[in-house]
Amino acid sequence: MNVTAPSEAILEAATSPAAPFDIESLFRARFDRVARVVARVVRDPARAEELAVEAFVRLWRTPQAHTPQAEAWLYRTAVRLGLDELRRQTRRQRYESLLAVVRRNPTPEQLHAATEEQDRVRVVLATLPARQAELLLLRSHDLSYSELAAALNIHAGSLGTFLARAQKSFRKEYTNRYGQT
Amino acid sequence: MDKHDYASAARDLTQEFTSGLDPWVESRLAALQPEQSWQPNIARGQSLLRQQISRTHARISRYWSWAAVIATAATLIAFALAAAPAPRVLAQRCVDCSIALWQSISPAAPAQQNLIAVSNRVAAPDFTLTDADGKSIRLSDAKGKVVLVNFWATWCGGCQVEIPWFRELYTTYKNAGLDAIGISMDDGWTSVRPYLKEKPIPYTIVIGTEATAKQFNVSAMPVTILVDRQGNIAATHTGIVAKSTYQSEIESLLK
Repeated sequence: MNVTAPSEAILEAATSPAAPFDIESLFRARFDRVARVVARVVRDPARAEELAVEAFVRLWRTPQAHTPQAEAWLYRTAVRLGLDELRRQTRRQRYESLLAVVRRNPTPEQLHAATEEQDRVRVVLATLPARQAELLLLRSHDLSYSELAAALNIHAGSLGTFLARAQKSFRKEYTNRYGQT
Repeated sequence: MDKHDYASAARDLTQEFTSGLDPWVESRLAALQPEQSWQPNIARGQSLLRQQISRTHARISRYWSWAAVIATAATLIAFALAAAPAPRVLAQRCVDCSIALWQSISPAAPAQQNLIAVSNRVAAPDFTLTDADGKSIRLSDAKGKVVLVNFWATWCGGCQVEIPWFRELYTTYKNAGLDAIGISMDDGWTSVRPYLKEKPIPYTIVIGTEATAKQFNVSAMPVTILVDRQGNIAATHTGIVAKSTYQSEIESLLK
């Protein structure tokens, strides 16, 4: 599923080696999709937008990435930024839960959030190796086979093995934490 | 393999890849789907992007400005170091200038006679040096006169303070029997001739040698030696001393 389908011609023009790198065109064509990928990882949509912008800025600042594969580079960077943010949030929540033992009075919001499936999945993703988490997230965002291989710089023949391993790790970590629900 | 075969192979691989998905994991990950109603705010994103890009441009231009300032400063320092003389000479000049300043603010320094007692005086070593015209100058030729022998150089700050005094003393006392020889320790006439053209010296100027300097134990400049009428060293002064001291000593020797 391609969430938005802007003209491929825009992307080609934006990353054409013959012309200066056009970040604005690429942004207009792909911001929606990149922001949605990050929003899978980060709970706050506004923060997801900011991280998506950050991924575009990093792309603009990295001339080596101004190639026809710029889009793949963009997804990888966006997912990494999202996962970094997620790990920070998870760490903070862990410390807060330690403090909660002392306080003994978790807020209703905290109780509610802890039961949410989204948060469970996010916690599990935060504990997985970065490459596995990236693969699962991009795959769940319906990136095509070739897009995934390009984004993660994985050899096409090894993609299935990597995915199987990542899913196994996810299942194991999830069931360890929350049981087979 | 033609284009069609490649497409077919890719489709097979994709199918294999898709069929290998774990539905349980997929269903968990599907929970991460953002709310359908949510639409990323492209206008806000675009504004953030432009802000960050312009901030980066500003930072880059700031870096370049600093780099230009540092490069300019480094170039100026390099030029200054290349143009300046060796540090030792520079230090010598500073000392000389300080002494000259001291002299200039205390013109009425009391005259002190440091003449060696007649019985203790030793014969001045003779030398033969060449003047600007190629004429040989011997110290012994001036026997019977009081001779002021001054070791100097064009680059010596202290010497520049003393030379006008010697010019004046020579003019005043030459008829009374004073002779003066300026022994320049410069490399040769190349630097001394332009100096003399600019600042004429009425007494004899010759170019010294290492041997001459050694004869008179010259280790720093200026060094001024007063030779009495008998050809003996009556006084040796290293560095600047008061003009009045020279005057007093010359007057004593001329008597």
